Amino acid sequence: MTHNNSEVQERQPLSNARLGVLVLLGAETMLFSGLIGTFLVFRVGNVTWPPPSHIGIELPRVVTGINTALLLLSGYTMFQAWRAIQKDRVKQLRNWLLITGVLGLLFLGVQGSEWVQLIRNGLTLQSGVYGGIFYVLIGCHAVHVLSAVIWVFIVFAMAIAGRFSGDRYTGVDTCAIYWIFVVALWPILYVLVYLS
Amino acid sequence: MLQWLPENVSTFGQGVDDLFHAIYWLTLIVFILVMGTLIVFLIKYRHQEGKKADYIEGSTTLEIVWTAVTTVIVFVLAMFSYPQWNNIKSPTQFPDNPDVVVQVSGKQFNWDMTYPGPDNEFGTDDDLELENELHVPVNAVVHIRLTSIDVIHSFFVPQLRLKQDALPNRFINVWFEATKAGRYEIPCAELCGFGHSGMLGYLNVHTQADYDAWVQERWPQ
Amino acid sequence: MHDNEHASHDHEESFIRKYIFSLDHKTIGKQFLIYGLIMFFVGGGLALLFRWQLAYPDQPLPIIGASQQYLDEGEVVTGADKMWERIYESDKEEWLEINMPSGVITPEFYNMLFTMHATIMVFFVVVPILVGAFGNFLIPLMIGTRDMAFPILNMLSFWLAVLAAIVMAVGFFVPGGHAAAGWTGYAPLSADPQWTGVEWGQNLWAISLLIQGFSSLVGSINYITTIINMRAPGMTFFRMPLVIWSLFIVAILLLLAFPVLSSALALLIFDRLAGTTFFSATAEGGGDPLLWQHLFWFFGHPEVYILILPGMGIASELIPVFSRKPIFGYRSMVYAMIAIAFLGWIVWGHHMFQSGMRSEMGNFFMTTTMLIAVPSAIKTFNWLGTMFRGSIRFTTPMLHGIAFVSMFVIGGLSGIYMANTPVDIFIHDTYYIVAHIHYVVFGGSLFAIFGGIIFWFPKMYGRYMNDVLSKIHFWLTFIAFNCTFFPMHILGVGGHMRRISNPQQYEFLMEPTTIKFLMWQFEFQGFIGMNIFITMSAFTLGFAQLILVFNFFWSMYKGKVAEQNPWQVNTLEWEAPTPVPHGNFGQIPTVYRGPYEYSVPGEESDWIPQAQPEHAPATGGD
Ligand code: HEA
Ligand code: HEA
Ligand code: CUA
Ligand SMILES: [Cu+2]
Repeated sequence: MTHNNSEVQERQPLSNARLGVLVLLGAETMLFSGLIGTFLVFRVGNVTWPPPSHIGIELPRVVTGINTALLLLSGYTMFQAWRAIQKDRVKQLRNWLLITGVLGLLFLGVQGSEWVQLIRNGLTLQSGVYGGIFYVLIGCHAVHVLSAVIWVFIVFAMAIAGRFSGDRYTGVDTCAIYWIFVVALWPILYVLVYLS
Repeated sequence: MLQWLPENVSTFGQGVDDLFHAIYWLTLIVFILVMGTLIVFLIKYRHQEGKKADYIEGSTTLEIVWTAVTTVIVFVLAMFSYPQWNNIKSPTQFPDNPDVVVQVSGKQFNWDMTYPGPDNEFGTDDDLELENELHVPVNAVVHIRLTSIDVIHSFFVPQLRLKQDALPNRFINVWFEATKAGRYEIPCAELCGFGHSGMLGYLNVHTQADYDAWVQERWPQ
Repeated sequence: MHDNEHASHDHEESFIRKYIFSLDHKTIGKQFLIYGLIMFFVGGGLALLFRWQLAYPDQPLPIIGASQQYLDEGEVVTGADKMWERIYESDKEEWLEINMPSGVITPEFYNMLFTMHATIMVFFVVVPILVGAFGNFLIPLMIGTRDMAFPILNMLSFWLAVLAAIVMAVGFFVPGGHAAAGWTGYAPLSADPQWTGVEWGQNLWAISLLIQGFSSLVGSINYITTIINMRAPGMTFFRMPLVIWSLFIVAILLLLAFPVLSSALALLIFDRLAGTTFFSATAEGGGDPLLWQHLFWFFGHPEVYILILPGMGIASELIPVFSRKPIFGYRSMVYAMIAIAFLGWIVWGHHMFQSGMRSEMGNFFMTTTMLIAVPSAIKTFNWLGTMFRGSIRFTTPMLHGIAFVSMFVIGGLSGIYMANTPVDIFIHDTYYIVAHIHYVVFGGSLFAIFGGIIFWFPKMYGRYMNDVLSKIHFWLTFIAFNCTFFPMHILGVGGHMRRISNPQQYEFLMEPTTIKFLMWQFEFQGFIGMNIFITMSAFTLGFAQLILVFNFFWSMYKGKVAEQNPWQVNTLEWEAPTPVPHGNFGQIPTVYRGPYEYSVPGEESDWIPQAQPEHAPATGGD
């Protein structure tokens, strides 16, 4: 049904799909701005942070720091996947994608176990704004990582099916853009939520 | 239109009304100019047989003129407004040494007034709590600690030209000086639930003598 | 998808593919239009209900109330009663009994009525029509392409909007009633059912708006991509018609503003359903009572420009066409819209002047807000300049265009009062604001919508709308609109608060007043008379809209058949055959000049279509 008047599109520096994903990231940025803004309102509005009632609950800074490194690494592997397909190396693409996806899953796994630990220690969604904004903000990012991981595995499956080549890799491109966004967002959240 | 403004009975109210009048005349003139031009154009340049429209793409000069003129008007207006606003709302510019301090607390759907009593401290035994009735002397500086115990309400006295939202868990300082004795309504101006319409208190502005008598009656010494 | 060959035989498509789950931007545009018109009646009907209460507080509603007597007394009196009898037999009985005992609107129900009135009008009428309908229909046609960049997402955008409307409608019938915290949904009122007694209504309100947010997100991604990537050869940015510019800017605003509301709505839902306390300052470890307002208005102010910019775009099409002149200052019109969109992000605090923000912030927001008068002045004077030395044809779309300009000026000027912090202390939360709202959104956006519908109807359906009916509709609407909303300024100056269900509870609104005007003297019993007058005008206004809708559907089948370019317009949509086939153009047109080349000196005809090659190098625009 699409009438890609390709005669017009070919002149454009970015294909529709790539541009569309970039535009989407604008909206995602604003979504997180809303939540980060909320976090800052609470953070700045409270003299002691965590608020007195929560003193004693420590966020797992070190483990999360290592986890941050994991995620940043996955950004690198995604970049390698993208480089590979540009050079038409489909096999390398597959490997790098797989590593990326697994790293993403690992990140989620570590996060999940941390959450279980925290909830055992008594930090829940209902623990005032401190617990509330922690779970909502970090959880919102986790949902994004999860969807990005699913996307990576879809692209991985498509790569196995041989759908990409050196001059046809929009699917990899869009997924990589999104992945990099999700990865790049994390250090900001880490510094704000865990270290500030 | 301006004749509908309720009577003004506060010291800062005149400043608000003056700005109101100024903007009224400013916008009226702008409106007449714009509409007048529009109507003249509509009549003069209506389609007539054999007459063709002129090809005019714009004019940078005119563009600059109306940009500059509007900018100047806007900034002049702003200049005149800052002091009025600060005078009413900026706690650092409130008149010091209030004659009366009251805590007003909104709740669904009443105003609670708390007087600190002779010791001038809240939370002591001689505090006086009144529901929906606020008593102040005329020509005296009144400070209000405005708060709420549930949702947001808004303290509004039309004749004082005063409005301020009351927020739960926050204290907002408000001041006024009434210039005429009388009984004025204090409607709630912010939607606060099904009783919002009709949430109503009264501001009783007494002459100094009456006020002293009222105080005497409440806290006999 | 490799099915370009489908283009020629769309007659093979099934009914469902063609009219319901259509991927064609024109069909989706028309779907949005009809969706918006239906919701307009819902929103308007709610307004009429509460207008009755304002004029005749605590008196039974006419038809509904009369038959409610039957319910109480068990007697059938009138034909209307017979009509309602059946309804009473169903569950509705209880619903009416709760919300309108004896036919009188309760305060709870009143709050719910204006909340839903505004929510529906803003999110389900004006945005879907301006952005959904005109955006979809016009963008591909006017930039000269065959369809949107992502047709499937486009269809998804419409059906998400339908889903949102259904969720919103369900809210009316859940126990506890629908959301009743105003369209602004101020927390903490909205954040905890204990304050309002509204349980699922507020949740559904939030969920519905979240869905609507997805719909807008998908739509705006589509618009932005399409406009950037798919313009016809020669269609440079500065040869785009202004309505496309406005839609482009609005898509960016929607894209960036709506997610902020979504984050706020998500937090609200957590507060209501998961026990968090982001907005409840009174709870232990509790949140911030102003947080919601900041988030809401950070979205909300750009939102009001979303409501007006496409209207400005439409007016900028109508006025040059019917003045047979180029638009005055094309580029400054574009820059002015960009300036409005940009300034729109840093003025949100003007809704919160009385909320207890620091007074320095008040000064900042006052200045930025009033600065918006500057680009608005540019727009207004450029429209006037366009008519200057023109050859004005008073067609019905043009009448709406003129009405747009004049009503927008009134609404904009009243904005100056409110932007002025000291004056806003008095008029905040009074009917002055209500007057402002309706002058900009009804006087502005809706007149533009009406004008746009009549103007593009021949392209949409291949027929004209009946001109006599259109003219009657215009004049009735124009007069009734001013009679309804102008007196609200006076109510506001008198201190009449908004969102109150019974003004007669206040003495200062009931005081007898004498007004002298020249040699006449008028006596007023408070604002009662004025409220009655407003209500009667509102009913007239509602009646006028019935004419529009009748005309719309009747003309779809019975209207006079229109030729391809009935108004002699330059822009590309009129190059396409009527009715526009699937794929729009036989061959993608090439664009040679700006969109407003009317009455070019030395030319025989007074218009030169954008795609007409012979003429010498382009003059306007680029
Ligand atoms: C389409 C929607 C729309 C538009 C375009 C506007 C435009 C403007 N609005 Fe409005 N506004 C609303 C919709 C809109 N508004 C709504 C819905 C609310 C209420 C929300 C609620 O609480 O429920 C609201 C509320 C609102 C408030 C809050 C009031 C309060 O609650 O106390 C303020 C305060 O500053 C304001 C200001 C303005 C200003 C300055 C403009 C400016 O953009 C206007 C600029 C235009 C002009 C000024 C006219 C043309 C210019 C000239 C002819 C040049 C000459 C002019 C001068 C020299 C002054 N608006
Ligand atoms: C796009 C926006 C839009 C539009 C088009 C309208 C249209 C109308 N509005 Fe609305 N209004 C708002 C946006 C809009 N409004 C907003 C944002 C608020 C603030 C809400 C808040 O405080 O939270 C508001 C609030 C508001 C109030 C203040 C309520 C209060 O504060 O207590 C009033 C009061 O008169 C009012 C009246 C009307 C009327 C009479 C119309 C008329 O123009 C409507 C005309 C159309 C029709 C009437 C439809 C025709 C239908 C029929 C003829 C069928 C008849 C059916 C039955 C009788 C069941 N509106
Ligand atoms: Cu309290 Cu409204
Ligand atoms: Cu605003």
